[in-house]
Parts: sequence; C-alpha cells; structure tokens
Amino acid sequence: MTLYLLRRSGAGVLVLFGITLLTFVVFFALSPDPAVTICGKTCTPERIETIRGVLGLDQPFLVQYGDFLRGLFVGRSFGVGENAVQCAAPCLGFSFQTNQPVLQMIAARIPQTVTVAVGAAVLWLLVGVSGGLLGAIKRGTVWDRAAMLTALGGISLPNYFLALLLQYVLVVRLQVLPFPDSSIGLTEDPGGWFGSYLMPWAVLAFGYASLYLRLTRDTVLDTLSENYVRTGRAKGLPRGLLLRRYALRPSMVPVVTLFGMDFAGLLAGALITETVFGINGVGKLAADSITTNDQPVIMAVTLLAALLVVVGNIAVDVFYTLLDPRVRVSQ
Amino acid sequence: MTAQGTHGDATPLLRVDDLRISVPGREGPLEVVHGLSFAVDVGRTLGIVGESGSGKSMTSLAVMSLLPPGAAASGSVRLRTQEHPGGEELLSGGTARLRALRGDRMAMVFQDPLSCLNPYYRVGVQIAEAHRAHRGSTRRQARTLAVDVLGRVGIPRPHQRVDDHPYQFSGGMRQRIMIAMALVCEPDLLIADEPTTALDVTVQAQILALLSDLQREFGTGMIYITHDLAVVSQVAEEILVLRGGHPVEHGTAEQIFSDPQQDYTRELLDAVPRIDDPVPARGGTR
Amino acid sequence: MATPVALIAETQSGSERAPVGAAPRRGVLRALLRRPQAALSLACILLLVVMAVFAPVLSSLGGWSPYAFDPQAIDADLGGLPLGPFGGAGARHWFGVEPQSGRDIFARIVTGARVSITIAVLATALTTTIGVLAGMVAGYLGGAADQLISRLMDFLMAFPALIFMIALLSALPAGQRQYLLVGVLAFFGWPYTARIVRGQTLALKARDFVEAARSSGASSSAVLLREILPNLRGTILVLSTMSVPGFIGTEAGLSFLGIGVVPPTPSWGQMIAASVSWYTVDPWYFVIPGLFLFVTVLSFTVLGDHLKSVLDPGGNPS
Repeated sequence: MTLYLLRRSGAGVLVLFGITLLTFVVFFALSPDPAVTICGKTCTPERIETIRGVLGLDQPFLVQYGDFLRGLFVGRSFGVGENAVQCAAPCLGFSFQTNQPVLQMIAARIPQTVTVAVGAAVLWLLVGVSGGLLGAIKRGTVWDRAAMLTALGGISLPNYFLALLLQYVLVVRLQVLPFPDSSIGLTEDPGGWFGSYLMPWAVLAFGYASLYLRLTRDTVLDTLSENYVRTGRAKGLPRGLLLRRYALRPSMVPVVTLFGMDFAGLLAGALITETVFGINGVGKLAADSITTNDQPVIMAVTLLAALLVVVGNIAVDVFYTLLDPRVRVSQ
Repeated sequence: MTAQGTHGDATPLLRVDDLRISVPGREGPLEVVHGLSFAVDVGRTLGIVGESGSGKSMTSLAVMSLLPPGAAASGSVRLRTQEHPGGEELLSGGTARLRALRGDRMAMVFQDPLSCLNPYYRVGVQIAEAHRAHRGSTRRQARTLAVDVLGRVGIPRPHQRVDDHPYQFSGGMRQRIMIAMALVCEPDLLIADEPTTALDVTVQAQILALLSDLQREFGTGMIYITHDLAVVSQVAEEILVLRGGHPVEHGTAEQIFSDPQQDYTRELLDAVPRIDDPVPARGGTR
Repeated sequence: MATPVALIAETQSGSERAPVGAAPRRGVLRALLRRPQAALSLACILLLVVMAVFAPVLSSLGGWSPYAFDPQAIDADLGGLPLGPFGGAGARHWFGVEPQSGRDIFARIVTGARVSITIAVLATALTTTIGVLAGMVAGYLGGAADQLISRLMDFLMAFPALIFMIALLSALPAGQRQYLLVGVLAFFGWPYTARIVRGQTLALKARDFVEAARSSGASSSAVLLREILPNLRGTILVLSTMSVPGFIGTEAGLSFLGIGVVPPTPSWGQMIAASVSWYTVDPWYFVIPGLFLFVTVLSFTVLGDHLKSVLDPGGNPS
C-alpha cells in the first residue's frame, strides 16, 4: 500500500508541476505587463523598471518559474538590498492589488469556503443518496417520478440563477432570511451564522443533490438486479438489513468515487456561489482577482485547486480499495 | 402421474397442487408453468428435470415465493410447519410470515455461486446472517456457528477462511459456502437449483456427496433441479420431468430409468453419455 | 495510469454507460417523437435553433437592435430603472429593457441565443471529433498510442478545469473571444468523450466482424472507418446531445464571471451577471435570461435521457 501511495503521490506531484508550469506559461506569454498595471495612472518608465526588477519580471521565463518553485519549497525574496522583502516557504507571492502576502489572504478565507463546501456536501449527500435509494426501491411510483423531475430541474438550473431567485424571493420579497453575511462567526451568533449560510448551502446542494440522486438511483437499480440480492431475499432477511447490505452498500462505490472528485473540485463551484451571495471565501477571492488580473492570487488559487483535485483523486483511489474487497492494491 | 400415491396419508413436507405460473408478456400475462403437482417428504429428494425454459427454476422460485415482480402463481403450495402441521398455504402467505419462513424453514441454493454471493461482505457474515435474523443469535455466537458450518461443508481451515471474501474462494468452495448459508438454520426444505452446473465434473461429484450427507444428517427434504439426468439419478428417489412448463413424466427413479413411459423422457435418457457409447467422429456439428 | 477511479468512472452506471450499436436513424426519430417528453424537448430545441439562426430578423421584427440604447425606456431619476412593470415589457419592448442602458432585452435574448448555441454546438463538434478520434486510436491501436493518449487524458482530467479556464481566459486578450471559448471548452472536454469511445472501441475490437475484417487484410484506418465508426453512431449521438447543455452552462458560467463572451456581445450568462446589481428592484432582468438558460439546458438533458433509453433499451428507465 505504501508503495502504491508513493507512486501515486509521485505522479500527482508531476501533474502539479505540469499544471503550474502551464499556468505560468499562460501568464508569461499572454498577460499584459503587470508592472504597468501595478504602476497605475501616474507612471514613469523608471518606476516600471523598478517594479519589474523587484518582482523579478525582467528575468527569463525559466528563472521566473524556478524562483516561483523555490519560493514554494524554501522561500524567496523580492527585490535586493535593504528593500528586499522576505517571503517564507510556501511563498505564494504578494498580491498585485493589495500587496498582502497571498498565502495569508487565502488562509484567511479558507474557513468560509470550507463552511460552504462542507455544509453543502452534508446536505447533498443526505438528500441525494437517500432520495436516489428511495426512488429506486419505489420505482415508478409518484415519489420516484417527483424526485426524478426535481432532480432534472436541479441539474438544468444554473446555480447563479437559483441563487438570485432564492435571494429575491426569500430575502427581498418574503424577508424571511437576511442577506448573507459571512463575517458572522459561529460562536458569536449561531442563528445569524446559520441564516447566512443557509441559502448558499441550499443552492450549492441543489445541483449536486440532483446529480447524486440520479446516480444513486441508477446504481441501486443495477444492484437490485444482481443475483446476490435474490440470495439475500431467499434468506428471509429483514427489510432494513437487505437494503443496507444488499442495495445500498454495493451501490456506494460510484457515489463515493464521484464525491471524492466533486468535493475536491468544489472550489470552482463555490466560486460562483460565493460571488453571488457575497461570501468572503477563497472562491470570491479568485473571482475578484480575475477581474483585476491579480496574477499571484490567480496562480495561487489555481495551484490550490489543482492540489485539491490531485489529492482528492488519490484519496478516492485509496478509498476505493477499501470499499470494494475485490480490488486490492496489487498492481 | 402416479407419484402422489407414494406419499401415503401422512402430510408431506411440501405439497404442490396444480401450480400455474404466468409472467408478463408483450400482450398480457403468459403462462409458463401449466399445472404442476408434486410432493416432497422429509429426508427424501425430488428431482425436477428439464431443459432451459421448461419452467423448473420458476417452479422453485414460486415455492420460495421469490418470483420476480410481475410474475403470478396460482394453485396451492403447502408447507408443513410447526404452526400448521397440516400444511400452510404459501401462495397466499403474508409478507412477514413468508420472510420468517425463508431462510429458516425453507432455503435455496442457486446455480452460479460467484454472482449469488454478496462480494462486499465476509463469508462468515453472510453465513451468519440468516441465523442472526431468524434466531436472534449474537455476533459472537453466529460467528462460532459459521466456523462450525464451514467446517461441516468441507472448507479447510474454517477459522481463517471465515473472514475471507467470496472472491477469495474457488468455484467449488463458493458453492459449499452457498450450501452452508442455506443450511445454517437447519431448514426442513432445501431447494437446489442446478447447484453443480457451473462446476467441473470432479467438483460436481463432491458437492453431490456433500448434499447427500447433509440431507442424511439433518433429514432435510430436498428438491434438486437440473437439466442433467445423469446427475439426478445419483440424488433423487423421485423424478419429475418437465417440458415447456408441462409435466411430462413423474415417477420413482427406478421407474424413470428402467421403464420410461414418454418419448421425451427417453430422448433425455438417450442424451446421457454412457461409458459404452461409441465415440463420435471428429468435426461434428457444434 | 488506469487508476481505480478511472475504472470505476467507466463502469459508472447510467450517465456513462453508452449504447453500442448502429441504430437506424429514422427509427430513432420516430421512437423519440412517440414519447411526449422527448417530443416536447425536440420542439423547444427547434424553436431555440430557429431563434438563434434568425436572430437578426427577429430583432428587427421587434424593432430594436441588441446594441441600441433607448433612453426613453428608462427612468434616469431612479438611476436608470426601466419604466413600467415587468421590467418595461410592453408593445414597444417585448421583453422589457436593460436598466441604465435601455437596450432591448428581446433582441439581446435572441442574439444571446445565437451566441450561446453557436459556441456550444461548435465546442461539441470539436470535442466529439477530437474525442472520437483519440478514443478510437487509443482503443484500437493499444500499446504506446494508448498509453500516451490515456495519460494525456488523465492529466487533462486532473486539471481544475474551471479555474484554469478562468486563469487562461483572463490572461488572453478580448479579441476573437468566441473562438477562444470554443477552443478552451473543447480542450478540456474531449477526454470525457474519448474515454467512453475508447471503452466502446475496446469492446468492439473483440467482436467477430472486426476480426474478420482484420484477417482479410484491411488496414487499420479502413477497419476503424468502416467497421468500428459506424457502430459508434449511437454512442456519438448520445454523447453529443449530452455535451451541449454542459457547454451552454459552462459558457454561461464563464460569461457570468466576466471572462466569457465580452460585452457588448450579449450572452445569457452575461446578462444575469449584469442583473446582479439590479435584482432587488428589477427581477425580470435576471429571470428572463435565467429561464431561457434553464429551458435550453433542460430540453437537451431530457432529449439526451430519452435518446439513451431509445438506443439502449437494456438500461434503466427513468
């Protein structure tokens, strides 16, 4: 197992290299000179040169990429002499917009994104999986049809549209919920905290729950046609046990697999949700930095997202060997 | 159709009268089993023989009330139980009652043990399931029982093997596990649906011997379903031949083999390879 | 790198299990039309396509170009709020106007339809072409080609696509944005198609008629084109139909974030983005494009579902 993990991690690191390299290339080759942007309106060529020097933008591409990597692992410095700024590992640079260390900017916003992601995940797993299971068992009944129709709507509805719709109806019109305010801490005001995150959770979960409902239902239906289910029934096992061991458990594999990948990729999904609801998380940071072309932040967020996806994939692979006894790591 | 007389006046373990089974067809229900009647006694084996499509599997499923959704059965299937010594009607049984009987008083062994065992759970758990469900044994008690039963069906090193998963066993061993699962509550009736068809000949013989031994030990009444007359001759005292859902011939094993009445039965007998048959020329049709 | 994840995703039931076999085209259409949901979806899609194709004609019917400002339709004192209920909808502007600019929403919707559907269809065509080619080559040739293509697929699928798309598009200049979008969408989309096609090709390769063709001396390309490709027709059809709504949604999402279609070219996603500042007082501004998006994606999804069940009756009915 450890050998397998090592191999997969090695491959993962390679993938991360590839992704960061590509992202770096994109910025290097395609972006307008950031020094100009930073310099602003009242600018002189000397100032631009100074900025470029400090940020290392006058170096050839490979040197810049090398500096970036070095910063990640051991730290680096910007500029020379007394004005040099140290940046400890892992160094993600400084924001072009605010000059803050990017690492801290991201770290400060992780709790909000995690809250949105975890809350939505719990909601969508509960609703999606149980809905799919029920739909499969009660196939063809009114419950099944209703669930499937709702799920169809869920995967077709763009989540920013739903977000606006919910906010309009619940906050503006009916006034049952306040405008989401992500600065409220859980401990200071649990009610307000909950009320703020309720809509983002619902919006994010609706789309995913629909996907998971359809997947679970399909998988369970496939499982129910397996021979071993008939064996279970032949033993006269009680309904609950039959459902748990012969319907649900065998169907979990594709669901858990997908969940691993989805949760890791949730950073992108949270991006839109956070923007619409004004949640001050990493996603919103990414969205904002895109409009201002704040390269270090975009680089850092891309790296983080890629890291999550790679880790998620490895975690899912490992989980998979635990989930399905027929697959043991022997490759 | 003279077999009913052999069971005398005592209530047989299982009595089936005029069983008809229909399945949903393109233009409405299609009858696939047309009025079967037979009985099984304690400690005795009835062999049901027929080609695929003869309705033999459907019959067994109907007895266990495991028919697929949409299929319907009519007639009478009476099982002798402690609560109903005169025979309890299964076709009109309530869900809860049937569930209580299945696995406990009547059990089934299926054809392809690989697909019939839950790949996600250990063998010991699957064997113990029925016992825990019907007898309320604890996990430890059930596990001890599972080890014991595994040994009884001839699995070597049962203490270790009880924690293995189905994929870790060979085909013959898996069938033994299926048998273990079926017998763990010592049912009165055991239905074996082509239990050796998916296995090779040497293993086949072992499984047949195992079934006979266990039947002698527990006094189980058995229905043995197969397409292979050669096999059934080794296990059954009474044979029912089916064709297209119709009973063709029904008699004791001696009667069927020594003096078959129907042409179809004779054809089946002829198809059984015998050691003194001439070897067919190569390049024959498939 | 045939990771268990990749393997499991391949055997995922339902959405990923595509049918094998060449279904007769006319039979499929008739079978679809017999199902009310599918027929309705086809009708909606047809309507949308007509709307997209004839967008300029329809705009002029409504009397407004999508880029023309109408200062009379908005109330400058209220900050540019459209005059009249329903966001200013009426005889003059059928769907109302955009706040502040006073642009005709109907014209922008139909033009946006043209933009979104064009991008999605082109992206689908490109993705399907690349995906089918890559999948067939990888599945049929095996060996080094398969290794190379599969690893490439794994790499691309490990990308945090949305984030990278955002990073990529934000760095690129705004010109020719629509072609760029098509390229980017196809760049990240083809592995999913390729993976399924590869699986199907592997299954087909083992079939008798392929063996026969190979042993009769046909070249690889001949076998691929004449034996394998025709049998992938059903799969390709379902995959394409299911890709379109995904691309429409992604393009709308990207436009919503401001890096998709660049103003003044209208796009439904972009309109919703613009509506965020106005939704409290002018909900119609976001409801109308949102509904159009919803109906479009829904129609394609329903059609795709029914196509799948028509072409693969052995699957699970929904």
